[in-house]
Amino acid sequence: MSSFRFARSALRARPSFLGAPVQRRGYAEAVADKIKLSLTLPHQTIYRSTGVTQVNIPAASGDMGVLANHVPSIEQLRPGLVEIIEESGSTKQYFLSGGFAVVQPDSQLSINAVEGFPLEEFSADAIRAQVAEAQKIASGSGSEQDIAEAKIELEVLETLQAHVK
Amino acid sequence: MFSRAVRPALRAGGAAVARPTPANAATFATLREIEGRLKSIKNIEKITNTMKIVASTRLTRAQKAMDESRVYGQTSNTVFEQAETKPLEDKKTLLVVASSDKGLCGGIHSGLTKATRRILAENPNADIAILGEKAKAQLSRAAPDNIVLSFANVCKDIPTFADAQAIADQIALLPENYASVRIIYNSFVNAQSYEAVSIEAYSEEAITQSANISSYEVADEALSSLREYALANNLFWAMAEGHACEISARRNAMENASKNAGEMINKFQILYNRQRQATITGELVEIITGATASEDM
Repeated sequence: MSSFRFARSALRARPSFLGAPVQRRGYAEAVADKIKLSLTLPHQTIYRSTGVTQVNIPAASGDMGVLANHVPSIEQLRPGLVEIIEESGSTKQYFLSGGFAVVQPDSQLSINAVEGFPLEEFSADAIRAQVAEAQKIASGSGSEQDIAEAKIELEVLETLQAHVK
Repeated sequence: MFSRAVRPALRAGGAAVARPTPANAATFATLREIEGRLKSIKNIEKITNTMKIVASTRLTRAQKAMDESRVYGQTSNTVFEQAETKPLEDKKTLLVVASSDKGLCGGIHSGLTKATRRILAENPNADIAILGEKAKAQLSRAAPDNIVLSFANVCKDIPTFADAQAIADQIALLPENYASVRIIYNSFVNAQSYEAVSIEAYSEEAITQSANISSYEVADEALSSLREYALANNLFWAMAEGHACEISARRNAMENASKNAGEMINKFQILYNRQRQATITGELVEIITGATASEDM
C-alpha cells in the first residue's frame, strides 16, 4: 500500500525534474515539492511548518523568491512585503518590519519578524499621518536618538506606503 | 541599642498584665481570642481566594503568549540546531536569570536560584545578569561578586518584545565579550509543574565556528545582527515562559493557601463552638448550684 503511494508521488514529482540538472535525491526530498514555512512573530504564529509553494522575501541583499530545495542560507530582512503563494495557488501578502529568514537544508523556511500584518489591514490615511509625524521629528531638533529612531520609522513607513494603495 | 531590644519584652509583659486570664481557662484560649483568630483566618482566605481568581484569569492569557513565544523562539533557534553551534570553551559565559519582582508564588524564584548556583558550581567564572528583584536578593547572598547587571520592574505583565530588546541591548553593552549567553528560566511543563532550564544564545564567534555553518549561505554582516536578534528572541521566549510559570505557580500556591485556610476555619469553628458550649454549661452549673444552695437556706 505504502509502496504504491510512494510510486505515485514519485510519478507526480518527476515532471518538475525534467528541466532541472540531474541530481541524486532520495524519496523524501524528491516528494517535497513544497517548502515548509514557519512565519512567526513574538505575539503570533502566522504559519507553523505549513507547506507552501513559494515565498518571496525582501532580503537585505535584494528581493528573492524561495522555492523548495533552495540553497540553505541566512538572510536579514528589510522592512517589506512577504508574498506567500500557498499550495492552493492563492497569494497572501504580509508586511514585515524586518527580521531574519533562514532557509534550512531540509526545505524549511523559518522567518522571524518583530512585527507583521496582512497588507490589507493597513490604512493608507494612517500611514500618511504617521509619515508626516516622523518627518517632523526627523527634521526637528530632538536628541540624536530621537532623530535616528524617526529616520528608521520613516524608512519602514515609506516602504509600506509604496505597497499600500 | 539595649533599650530597643528590651522594649518588645516590656510591651509583651504589659499586655500579659493588662489581660488577666480567667482561672478556668488556664490552658484554653478564651472564646474571644478564638473568635478573633477565626475572623483573621477568614479574611486571609478571602484574600488568597481573590488572588487565585486573579491569577487564573491572567493564566490563560499568559499561557497563550507563552505558546506563541515558544514557537517564535524555537523557529529562531532552528538554525543553530541545524548548524550544530556549540559554545566556545575558553571564554566567559553570562548567565541571565529570568525571574521577577513578586513573590507569593511557591518555589519559582528559589528554583531558579538553585539552578543558577548549580551552574555556578561547575563554572565559577561566569557572570550573572538578573531580571527581577527576587532572584537578585537570593543570588546577591550566594554570589555577590558575579552579578554584573540587574533589572527591576521586568516581567510584571506579559512581556513585550520591546522589553526583551531593551534588555538585550543592555547586555550587548557590557564590556566583556561573552562566548555565550545562557538564559535560565522556568520552563512550563504543565499547570502543576515547572522546571528550571536554560537556553543558549551564542556569540558571533561561536556561530562562525559551528560545525555545519558552511552549509548555509550567509553574508558576514548579517551574522552580528543575527546574533543580537537571536539573543532578544531567546530572552523574549524565556521571559514569556517564565511569566506563565509564575502565574500558574501563584495560582497553585493561592489555591493551596485557600484550602489550608478553609481547613483551619473548620477546625477553629468546631473549637469555638465547643468552647462556647463549655462556657454555657459552666455558667448553668454555677447558676443551678447557686439556686439550690439558696433554696436550702
